[in-house]
Amino acid sequence: MLQVDNLTAAYGQVSVLHGISLKVQKGQVVTLIGSNGAGKTTTMRAISGMLAPTAGSIRLGDQDITGLPAHRISRLGVAHSPEGRRVFPTQSVRDNLLLGAFSRLTFGGRKRGDVEGDLERSLDLFPRLRERRDQLAGTLSGGEQQMLAMARALMLQPDVLLLDEPSMGLAPILVEEVFAIIRRLKETGITMLLVEQFAGAALAVADYGYVMENGRISVEGPALQLQNDPKVRAAYLGGGHA
Amino acid sequence: MAILLQLLLSGIALGMIYAVIAFGYQSTFATSGTLNFGQGEALMLGALVGLSLAGTISGGPYLNYWVMIPPVLIFGALQGIVVERVAVRPAIKTRSEFGWIMSTIALGIIFRNVAENVWGRDDLPFPSPLPTEPLHFLGASVLPMELLVVVGALLMMVGVEVFNRRSIYGKAVVATASDRDAAGLMGINTSLVITFSYALSSMTAAFAGVLIAPVTLTGASMGTALGLKAFAVAIIGGLNSGLGVVVGGILLGVAETTTGFYVSTGYKDVPGLVLLLLVLSVKPSGLFGKTTIKKV
Repeated sequence: MLQVDNLTAAYGQVSVLHGISLKVQKGQVVTLIGSNGAGKTTTMRAISGMLAPTAGSIRLGDQDITGLPAHRISRLGVAHSPEGRRVFPTQSVRDNLLLGAFSRLTFGGRKRGDVEGDLERSLDLFPRLRERRDQLAGTLSGGEQQMLAMARALMLQPDVLLLDEPSMGLAPILVEEVFAIIRRLKETGITMLLVEQFAGAALAVADYGYVMENGRISVEGPALQLQNDPKVRAAYLGGGHA
Repeated sequence: MAILLQLLLSGIALGMIYAVIAFGYQSTFATSGTLNFGQGEALMLGALVGLSLAGTISGGPYLNYWVMIPPVLIFGALQGIVVERVAVRPAIKTRSEFGWIMSTIALGIIFRNVAENVWGRDDLPFPSPLPTEPLHFLGASVLPMELLVVVGALLMMVGVEVFNRRSIYGKAVVATASDRDAAGLMGINTSLVITFSYALSSMTAAFAGVLIAPVTLTGASMGTALGLKAFAVAIIGGLNSGLGVVVGGILLGVAETTTGFYVSTGYKDVPGLVLLLLVLSVKPSGLFGKTTIKKV
């Protein structure tokens, strides 16, 4: 579904990714773990078009999407719930969700279908948002904003969902809730690339994992195998914490 | 008392024009963080194109005043697109922090020179579509055209607000204004939104031009002072507050008419500019400016 080959990217003169290759197959949940500054978020940004890669290629299905602007990649079916949530604070929860379906509501959009129905279904999946549907997104708590960012990305009915640090800055009980939702999404057969700092929890839900270090993939393998890899355990799992 | 009321009413009519132009500054600043310093020239071009269509200067009138407004709005929108493509987009693309300031000023000067060559340097009369007999109201007299200025300005601002709140395209404009990168992730073509906001901004200025042309003099130099004062209004009211520009505009308009009458017309611009300096030192985000708090 999504195939990244030898991707390099830089912020100005500073090169951040030095040849990343990864693959996400249809219906798979793949996780990208690694320490801060390893390049996980940069990889996500390059895939969704927020950052133009300097070399390498990104393919979605049989289409080359390398270097396309973000709005075109979104229209092709890649939804990105970015690091830091990035909800639209001056607009209501409902408007944020409708904006998630912008490509479907406008001329030449994909999967036009039943956006209002999808909005109802996403409020079923995130009941905390239902009570707040007419509230401005900026007035939500951090956890609610995270739910909104995920719900908004899902409104695209994406072929691939990029989920960047959904647990960042959340209280433990909310982290648990976010992972419960990720497991539920996985049961629906969604294709997902998940970046997480809670490596243990991420590997527990994922099918396959990549470990990033200094802009490179250092280890990869089925999630179960990475969970039991002594080097990965020592560096990222802190002796079994999940 | 009647005199004060008169000054207030004239001040409000003038202030609403400032508000419309300032509204245009806001629309581009919100989406792109840039402004068109040629807003005054956009107003002037709108008024002169309107005069050519509805006046007698080029063998017309071809259209009556009301029918002339839509073509002038379209002209204004196209002019805004030219400004964005030529002066602003290159600066945004190269991430030049201040390039757009010089390039929009330069383009404004070019437009003024073109207008001087096409329509001449002299001020021209603009035929009024409404009776020029003033209406009397509690001892003060108001031109019907001044009422039209206020009503037209408010209608235009309400129209844009409804578009922003109700339609999915308007919501996309608001989203682009609050977070351009995140808006791109929603599938919104944000550079098209910026072009649109420039079109809207020049369109509102052109509209303001045909509204005030009948009550003032029309000519190549009519826009410069208006554009600058409207910029002061946008700063006083707050660059992100719709209510702010209306209040700021009325404040400045009334300050001008009252000072002009009670002190001296030579000093009429002073209180507004003093107000600008005060706002900048006390509340730099403007009287109604909002600073949003970002949760991490």
